[in-house]
This record gives sequence, structure tokens and C-alpha cells, in this order.
Amino acid sequence: MLKPLAKDGWNYETAAHLLNRAGFGGPPEEITRLTDLGHDAALALLLDYEKIPDPTPNPAWAVPDLGRADRVRAMQSLTPDARRLAQQAEQRAQAQQIVELRGWWLNRMAKGPRPFQEKMVLFWHGHFATSYEKVRDAYYMWRQNELFRRLATDYWLRLLTEAGKDPAMLIWLDQAQSRKEHPNENYAREVMELFSLGEGHYTEKDVTEGARALTGWSLDRQVEQFVYRPLIHDDGDKTFLGLTGNLNGEEMMAQIVKQPQASVFITGKLWNYFAGQMPSPELNKALDDAFVANARCFKPFLRVMFRSEEFYGDTVIRNQVKSPVQWLVGTARMLQCDLPPAFISSALTRSLGQDLFAPPNVKGWDGGITWITTNTLLDRYNDAATLVQGTTQQLSASDFALKPGGPGGVVQQKAAQLVHIGGVEVDKILTPEERADKGQLVAALQHRLLQSTFSNEQNKALRDFLDSRPKLADADIRNVIRLVMSTPEYQVT
Amino acid sequence: MKNEITLQTRREFLRATVLGSALSWTVPAFLADTFMALHGEAAGSATQIVTGKDGTILVVLQMAGGNDGLNTVIPYSNDYYHNARPKIGLTEDKILKLNGEIGFHGAMTGFKTLYDSGNLAVVQGVGYPNPNRSHFRSTEIWQTASDSDKVEKYGWLGRYFDNACAGADPTVGVVLGRQLPESFFAKTPKGICFDNPQNYRFLSPEHPKPGQTDMTEAAYEKLNETEMVSSDDNSGASIGSLPAGMPMQGGKAVDFIERTAMDAQISSDEVRGIAARVQNQATYPNSAFANSLKLVAKLIGGGLPTRIYYVSQGGYDTHTNQIATQQRLLGDLGDSLKAFVDDLKAQGNLQRVLVMTFSEFGRRVNENANGGTDHGAAAPMFIVGNKVKAGLLGRYPSLAPQDLFQGDIKYNVDFRSVYAGVLEKWLKTKSAPILGKQFEPLPVV
Repeated sequence: MLKPLAKDGWNYETAAHLLNRAGFGGPPEEITRLTDLGHDAALALLLDYEKIPDPTPNPAWAVPDLGRADRVRAMQSLTPDARRLAQQAEQRAQAQQIVELRGWWLNRMAKGPRPFQEKMVLFWHGHFATSYEKVRDAYYMWRQNELFRRLATDYWLRLLTEAGKDPAMLIWLDQAQSRKEHPNENYAREVMELFSLGEGHYTEKDVTEGARALTGWSLDRQVEQFVYRPLIHDDGDKTFLGLTGNLNGEEMMAQIVKQPQASVFITGKLWNYFAGQMPSPELNKALDDAFVANARCFKPFLRVMFRSEEFYGDTVIRNQVKSPVQWLVGTARMLQCDLPPAFISSALTRSLGQDLFAPPNVKGWDGGITWITTNTLLDRYNDAATLVQGTTQQLSASDFALKPGGPGGVVQQKAAQLVHIGGVEVDKILTPEERADKGQLVAALQHRLLQSTFSNEQNKALRDFLDSRPKLADADIRNVIRLVMSTPEYQVT
Repeated sequence: MKNEITLQTRREFLRATVLGSALSWTVPAFLADTFMALHGEAAGSATQIVTGKDGTILVVLQMAGGNDGLNTVIPYSNDYYHNARPKIGLTEDKILKLNGEIGFHGAMTGFKTLYDSGNLAVVQGVGYPNPNRSHFRSTEIWQTASDSDKVEKYGWLGRYFDNACAGADPTVGVVLGRQLPESFFAKTPKGICFDNPQNYRFLSPEHPKPGQTDMTEAAYEKLNETEMVSSDDNSGASIGSLPAGMPMQGGKAVDFIERTAMDAQISSDEVRGIAARVQNQATYPNSAFANSLKLVAKLIGGGLPTRIYYVSQGGYDTHTNQIATQQRLLGDLGDSLKAFVDDLKAQGNLQRVLVMTFSEFGRRVNENANGGTDHGAAAPMFIVGNKVKAGLLGRYPSLAPQDLFQGDIKYNVDFRSVYAGVLEKWLKTKSAPILGKQFEPLPVV
């Protein structure tokens, strides 16, 4: 049984922890507001997001492209050269859209009114890890993202079923190509191994039988949506996870979710995502019990989890390595600044190891300390300067594939627009008193950025730096902010 | 204890070894050896000393995605092969023959040249008992050298570092890429990781005049400096008893990051210096993979005290349209490796370097309906170098239906025998503590 957090356990620190994990963090005012609301009301504000309107408009191109299938087919009759040019144009348009989509989503996380919903979308994206690198269609990727948003905290069975019928997934794991003569085993295997049960909880026979059950689930490229095709469905009897009959995809998914392991698996993974480490078997059992008691629906389960004392334990608080997305979005929220333009933001998270809509493989991102290598750590320190100082900081051309010294005039102007980064507005986050007193300044920045404190040596290093400046210009203060971010402590939350 | 060098911080220690390795390419070898031996004594006899000039080096090359071994080293005269692959089977005219039965894929001219000049070994039919057909699980098995029903916490290269490289410079392992592979996971994680040496540094906005201090950089260094905690009751820790880093599981995340911050600080100057100073002496193909090998050649030429380099080439998961994909990848692989060998030869370092390839599995014997192949089992490994026992090692697995297991090729060499051979015969260390038990070391050199 999960124990609820005691009433006196709810304070600024635990409220900050909840906002960091169930959302992407925020400025001190927001944490104070949650603290004052009390634990239950704070949870309601975050979790019952349906009550808050989200006016984010869809990307302009996020509608079915009904001419695409014909266009692609028509390319086949072109001369090889003309075909290559047509394909390149198509790819360029798609590449542009996927960058826009990354920016659109990151902005929704950083500025949108429903951070918890977006945090769940990010979880499902990492869970049902699907990559544009194979799907090659921004509309399908957006659709999947919307699916995760719509069912973010819905029932396990509904989400698992819908995820399998999603066009991007049908392409990604080859289900769209599977037919009864040659069932493709890819989705049957991965849905059990990575999405629902884990290695060792099914047999090779379940994979081949499941692949037969799934035949018929396909993609209608003409209208760009899921279609069930009875003619390619295998009508024979199959035995899948102990159930025998002429099973179809829906029955297969229901049989999976019925397995006790399916609840253990997903609750363990959710705990790992929100708490930062895999649960002990005892804790996983308690989580599993709470999930089953709530009809395998995510919203009430997560409310119990975020209500629990375990979630606020010493080994949980400030012991999770920030993912690159958490790092970027959290920084923008804590420093109350805008994200850089889409193609810089997306290049930035990619260089730190998290390319949205392009996870490294179907297992998703490993996360945890694997985010941190000597390479990505130095990149975080340098990217901090970019974000905080704005475009006054020299950016590396390779970060966004623009060569300096290229054609002048309009192109350069356009490039300058594209790379415009506002930087941090110092007076927005510091009072005049805090600016005037170096001790207060250092304390305020730690309060805002770490919700914790540095060691004495580290404080001295910051003081020494401040003391080396005759008077503190905005650039100097931004430099201190960047230095606070250039520490091991800032990489955890 | 009195003869040991007592140091206050891990950083001072690392600076000292960096200096040591820096010395080794500017002063006579015996002086460098003396300097390093001093550290070696303190570090205990199991520790391997590399000066950056004379130690053997292993380059591990991952062919990610599961390379189809059957269309890489092709049994072109075998009827079973052609029956199983009516569409994607390669005919005699598209093959670089090695003998009357097998040959390389036609794109592998680089491999053929290396093979003919005695610089390439093909280990045939490599795998492991009860093969797993999941990319992730099978990759994990290869990276951790575990049995297929056991999950190991640490990687086989990580255990090599733990067992044989205590107290070594962080650059003892170098990964060209952004993420550490699981094979590097260790009790005391070691190794650095980068893809672009130019950006591998802390950038300061200041431009101090000579003699002035860059205050931003100074603050950064202090903020990231970790005081070393003594690992025993002695005041101050010795070189021989560096504190263990954060284990990969449990422990505080921030401790691990502190360690990494230190390694980054130390290695950044070294790597950038070498990348700028050393020139490649061969012409490589224009590909991301070739760029990795170019950089490895530079770092070897520059004398980085590295024992293990790790590079990877992805894209081998050929469920569809295999012919075109493999043509491109294997061509790039062979041409890049050929250039790498030429480069090392020109440097005079070829005799110190061994390249070993691996892929998580081979593919099914039967082609699928989409012009590709699905996940399978055993496949060949390649070993490159001028000390290598060149030619064909092991024997080609049988493709007769009665010899297959669930449509897959059965292995006849356990990959851990190859690892054992590389560890014992090339890196000169005992393999059993690293691989968990004694495997028959394959005589690779």
C-alpha cells in the first residue's frame, strides 16, 4: 500500500518537486502558489487539466494530405532525374514540417497551460517510441502526438489498442505491410517486449500467433488513416498468451492487458519516469495494486502516486537527471524566457541526445545517467550560455547547418531572424535589492534554479566571479546565471 | 604508504597523468616509461600502463541493426542459399570470391584488399547459445558478454576497465558518438565520449589578454571541482586507491555528473589539441562513419593513452529493400576501414591497432516478402590489423534445413571466445575475471 504524504510534509520543497516532475518546473511564484493551495488542490490543478482551456492552434499543415499518395505514385512514371527532384522537394517540405512540429510541441511544454498533460505526452512518445526517420511524414507524427495527448491519462487498454492502429506506428513497425500469407512479426514482438510486458513474459510462439491475429490492421494511404482489411486477415485459430480462437488485433490487446505483468510493467515504467529510478519489487507491487484498483486508468492511478509519501522520499527528490527536453523547457519556465526558434530548439535537444520524433530506436531513450556524457555535459554548459545570453553569444554554425560568410543581404537577414534568441531579462527575475547585494543575488539564483543550495566552495567561486566585476552589468548577471547552470547540480531535478 | 604519491584532488591526479601522456610523445621513450612506471607501481600490478606510444589498442566497431551475414560473406556455390533467397540472393558475378565456395559482397572491395594483403580475418558463424532476436536484448548480450538468460549490470569493456585500468586517464576509453554504449557501463565508469572535437570544450565569453585570468572559466572550473573523499582511513587518497565513482545503479545522480564534469575538463584540451595538430594520411570516403575513423586515426597518431576506441555504423536492420541498403553500408564500411589501415600504416602505428567488428545478430536464412530479411542469429565477425591471424577462422555454418534452428543459422564460435582471444592475446589481460568464466580464447593474432 502506498502511504499518503503527511499534511506537514507539503511545503515549498515538495511542491517544487511535484511541479518539476509532474510538469517542467516553474518560477518561485508558481511554486509558492502550489504550496499555498495544499497538496490535493495542487494535484487537481495539475492533473485535472481538462478544466483548463488550451488554445494552442494546430500547425497549419496538420490535415490529411489527400493528394499525397497519388503524387508519390505519379513520381514513379517520371524520368529518373525528374523523379529525384520531385522526391527531394517532397522530402524538403516534410523536413521543414517536422522541425516546425518539434518547435510547436516544445513551446506547448514551455508556455502551454497544461504542463502535466504534455509531460505525459512526452512519456508516451518515449514509450511508444516512433521515429520520423522511418515514418517520413510530419502529419502522421503530429497525429500520433495528438493521440498521446487525447489519451494521455486514459485507460491502458484503450491507449494500447489505439497506439497500435496509429498510422505512424503502422509504418514504424511494419504492421501496414503484414498480410496473412506473410505475417510480419515486428509489431507483435515489440508490443509485448517493449510496450506492455517485457522480455521473458511471452514465448516466440506468442509472437508468431500474435502476428497472425494482427493481420488485417493496415493503413489506407489514400485517406491517411487506419483501415481494417478483412481480406488480409488470417481467420484461422490462434493461441495467444493462453487464449485460443480466431483472434483479431483488439482481442489480442485485451489479452495482453489482462496479464498481471502488463500492469506491473507500465506502472514500473511510469514510476521510473516520474521518480527517476526503477521501483523495488515491493513498491512496484504497491503501484500495481493502485493501478488495478483504479480500473487500469492512468489519471486516478497517477493521483495516488503523486499523493504518496514514497514519491517525496530522500532518494527521489533532486536525484533525477534532467532529460534534454526537461533541461530546455524547465530552463525557459524557471527563467521566464522564450524558447529559441524551432530549428534551434530542436537542434539543441538533438545535440543533447533527445531528438523529438526521432528516438534512437523503438526502445526509446534510456534516460537517467545515460543522458550525461563528457560530450553532452559540456554541450549543456555551452547551450546554457546561448539561452541565457541570447544571440550576443557566438553560436557555432554547425549547430544549425548555416555556413557563416554565405551570401549576404536577404539571406543573412533571414538567418539572423531564424537564430534570434532573446536571452534572459535580468530585471524580470531579480528585484533591485537582489541586484544590489551579491549575497542576495547568489541566493536568489540558487532558489530559482536549484531549489537547493550550493556548497561553500561553489558559493565562493560565484562570489569571486562577481567580485572581479567592477559593476554588475546585465551581461555579467547573465554570465552568473549561465555559471549556475554550468554545474553538476543544475543537471538534476 | 610513504612511497605513494598523495594527492588532494582527483583533478590533480588527472592533470599529472595527462602531463605524463603529454610527455610521452615529446621525450625519449625510456623517460616516459619511467614516469609512467612510477604511477603504475602505485596503482598496483594489475593496472595496465599505456604511454600513448607503445600499448596495444582495440577499436570496437558496431554494425548496428543486425547485419545480414549471409549476404556479407556469401556461400555463392551453395544451393540452399539460392533457394532461400530467390530475390535477394547474390549470384557469382556480384561476388568477390575468397575461394571456390564463399566470397565477399561485391561492394566490399576494401575488405578484399585487406584480406588479400593479410590484414583481415573472417570469424565465421559467430553467435551464442539460445539466441535472442530482439535488437535490444541481443545488443545487450553482446555488450555485456552475458549468457542469453542473464542480465548483467556492467559491460564487458567496462569490466576490462575495472579489472585492468584502475586509476587510468579517463581517455583510456574513447567513444566516437554522443552516448556511451552499454559495453562501457562499469563499476567505476571510464571513458569519454564526443563527436565533434571543435565543440568539445567549455566556451567562455571572455577574451583575456596574456597574463590575465579568464574569470568565467576560473569560476566554471571551481564550480565543477570535486574534493576527493578518502576511500579508506588514510588522510588523502593515493593513486592506487582512487575512490570508486558512482556505480551505474543506485547512488546519487549528482555524484556521477561531478565525475563526468571532471573527465570532460581534463580530456577536452587533449582531444582538441590532437585533432588540430595531427593530419590524416589517407583518403577516406565522405561519410559520417568515415569521419569517426578519421578522428580515431588522428587520436592514435597524437598519442592519446587510449586502449579502447568505440565507433559505430548504423542502418543494418534491413527488413525491406536490403539490396540497396547493404550495398551502400558495406561499401562505406570496407572503403573506410581500408583508408584507416592505410592511415595507420603511414603513421607507423598499424602494428599497435586491432579492429573488431560485431553486430547484434545475423538475419534469417529465408528472405521475407519485402525484399529484405528478418532478425536471425549467427553471423561473421571481422578482425583487422597487421598482426591479425588473417584468413578464414572457424568454419562456414551449414545451411541445410536440418542444421538450422527455427530457420536460423546455428553458431559454431561463441562470441565470447573472440572476446577472450582479443583480451588475452591482444590486450594481454586475463579474460575470465572480465567475461565471468573461462572461454577458449580464439587465436585472433
